[in-house]
Parts: sequence; C-alpha cells; structure tokens
Amino acid sequence: MIEVSGLVKDFGAHRVLDGIDLSVQRGEVIAMIGPSGSGKSTCLRCLNLLEAPSAGLLRVGDVTIDASRPVTRRQRLGFRRPLGMVFQSFNLFPHMTVLRNVSLAQERVLKRSRREADEISRQLLDRVGLGAKADQHPSRCSGGQQQRIAIARALALDPEVMLFDEPTSALDPELGLEVLNVMQELAAGGMTMIVVTHEMHFAESVSDRVLIMADGRIIEQGPSAEVMRNPQTERAQRFLSAVMNR
Amino acid sequence: MTAGFLAPILGGVIWTLALSAAALAVGMVLGALLCAMRVSGGAVLAALAAMLILIFRAVPPIVWLFLIYFGLGAGWLQIGAFEAAALGLGLITAANLAEIFRGALKAIHVGQWEAAQTLGLPQVSRLCDVIVPQMLRITLPSIVSYAIGLIKDTAIASTIGVPEIAFQASNVSQATFRGLESFAFAGLLYIGLSIPIAMASRRIDLRLRSKVAR
Repeated sequence: MIEVSGLVKDFGAHRVLDGIDLSVQRGEVIAMIGPSGSGKSTCLRCLNLLEAPSAGLLRVGDVTIDASRPVTRRQRLGFRRPLGMVFQSFNLFPHMTVLRNVSLAQERVLKRSRREADEISRQLLDRVGLGAKADQHPSRCSGGQQQRIAIARALALDPEVMLFDEPTSALDPELGLEVLNVMQELAAGGMTMIVVTHEMHFAESVSDRVLIMADGRIIEQGPSAEVMRNPQTERAQRFLSAVMNR
Repeated sequence: MTAGFLAPILGGVIWTLALSAAALAVGMVLGALLCAMRVSGGAVLAALAAMLILIFRAVPPIVWLFLIYFGLGAGWLQIGAFEAAALGLGLITAANLAEIFRGALKAIHVGQWEAAQTLGLPQVSRLCDVIVPQMLRITLPSIVSYAIGLIKDTAIASTIGVPEIAFQASNVSQATFRGLESFAFAGLLYIGLSIPIAMASRRIDLRLRSKVAR
C-alpha cells in the first residue's frame, strides 16, 4: 500500500530524516515511537507532502513521488487522495458547525450533494459517538470530542490509509482514551494506519508493528510485543525503559 | 426660527456615504491584492507591495486627491471629482487594509491551511471556505473602525468639489453667514452616521465571536 525508500529531509543544514525505508501492507497498523526530535512527525508529514522530502521515493497506491523532481499540483492531489490525516492540534475549522466540518470536503472533493454529505457525516459522527454534537461549533466540544470529529472528517473522504500525528498528546489521559478507543475500532475494522504516538500501551497492544525512531533513522522495528518487550539496540532499550518505567 | 436653510447639508449625506463606500470597496479589492502580493513568497512581488503600501500611506490624503484630480485630471485622464476622491482615498485605504489583512493571515493557525490541504480542498475552497471567513471575523472590528475614520476623511473631498456634507456645510455657511449652525449640523450628521455602524459592527462581532468562543 505504501512504499518509502531512501527518504531524506533536511531543514537547512540540519538532517532530520536520514534515509527512511518503510513498506506498509494493506490493513497493517503501525506505531511510530521514539524520543522527541527523532523525526517521527516529520516522517509522517513527508508521507502526505506537508513537508517536501529532500530525497527519496514515496509511493502510495499507484502514485509515486520522486523527491528529486518537481511535484505537480495534480500529482500532489492524487498522492494525498487515499490518505486521511489527523493532527495533534485537531485543526477543526472553528467557524463551521461540527457537521459542516465533516461535510465540507465531501462536497468540494468528492462532489457529493449537501444532503448526501450530511447524511454520511451524521453516520460517521454517530460512529465516533458524537451524533448529538452535529449542530454545535467545535469550541463547544472537549479536546477528545474535537479529535474524534477530526477523525470523522478524515474518514468522510473514504481514505485507504489513516495517518495520525500524536493524536492524543494534547489531551488529558481520560479524553485521550476516548480517542484511542475510536482508533482501536478503526484498526479492528481493517483500516491501514500509521500512528505517531507516545501511547506505549496502544503501540504494544493495538498496532501490528512498532517502529522506533531516533536521530532521523528507524533504529528498530518488528512485531509490536517483541520490539516493546525485547528491544535489541542500546538506544531503543534506553528509550523504552525511560517511557515504560514511570 | 426656521432651520430650513440647513436642508442642503442633508443632501450631502448621500455623497458622503457613497464616497465612503466606494473608497472602502476600492480599498478592499486593492488591499486584498497587495496583501496577496506581500505573502506570495515572491521576493520581487513582496518588495513591490511593501513599497506601494509605504507610498500610499506616506502621502497625505489631500495631496493624493489633488495629485489625481488636478494632476492626472489635467489632461492625462478624464476623471470626475467623485472618482478622483474614491480612488485617492481608496489607495490609502488599500494600504491600511493590506496590513490589517496580513496581520489576520498571521493570526490564523498554520494547522488550518494544513487541514485544508490534507483534505484535498481545491485552492479556491481553501481560501473561500476556510481562510477568508476566519479573516473576516478577525478583521471586522479593525475594518469597521477604519471605515468610521474613512467617513470623516471623506470631508477633504470637499476641496475638489465633491458635494458631500462638509462641502454643503461650507456653501450654506457662506451663503447665510451662519457658520456655527452649519458646521455644527454637519458635525451632528457625521456622528449620526458613525453610531449605527459602530453598533451594527458590535452586534455582528459578538455573533461571530459567540460561535467560536468557549
């Protein structure tokens, strides 16, 4: 489904991603963990071209982006089409109702009618447990609710892969749990997911594969329980013991 | 005592309003354009916009009006007093609004652009559905207070013969030698124009704010 090879990202003289290779199968749930500044978020943001990769090849479905060549607008749109994105800061549109937030892109991108879009939006909002919030504005919703709305908004475009950039980091543990439950249901439903997270329990029990990043590289990866319980490299051991034993 | 001699001043209200509206319209369009140039990312465009904004603002309104009406109007282009005033005040308004717009753009979280992008919204929709409505909310109070200032600034258009409130008051005062009444009435009219605008803006602002505030 997704194929990344030799992904490099430089910010000026600073190399943030130093040769990432990754392939993701359909239906696979991947957790990316690692210390702050290790490049996890940048990697995810390169994956949907929010950051322009400095070098490397990216493939999603049958669209390939070569960082060494200029990317056309059409390529970028086609590349992003199957990708849904959920941000740490939710990024809901504050001036629209919850329902409009979920419906807007369906109308503008998928050319659904207002009625059709609203109907799908209400179903999705019900699915994330927020049907009753449809006519409110996002500011009237808790952080956990906002994040679930953001998930519904991304799902409304029928994505094949969902990308999550620290979806619970701005939430207190209880609200984070609401969001994690929705994500767990998504995973159980067969959605392909890449999740940048500090939620070690999610990484261990929900994801199929864990990637540990440090200094712009993937230093360790494998089946979740194995990597989390029995890391091989010293750097991964240090990181995991810091986050697990607290 | 009859106040009927003041009636012609009332006739200036429509010109004052028309000129304010025209200058604001010119300012909005040009201001949006200048703002777009400044944030376009192109170094030449941005520098050009910055220079235009500086020039528009540094030259006093009355000099702009004379420059356009007596300068360009003297053979360079066919332009009436109203159009010259609308253009002159419009340029100054554009410069000020461009900076107000730019401030508002900066105030909108970058995540809004990113969300719009990742949803695949077309460029037009990103602006019209996501960014501009939020800019409107942020800029409304500044635009309205600028507009109220603009209504008063239109008085200088009397110097090139636009028959607005100040022009009429001046005429009446010269014809009747009742300057105090004439200009006091003119003053009252300006106050009368500003108050409803300020009130309306407050209501709209509160309504917009109530949606997004906790």
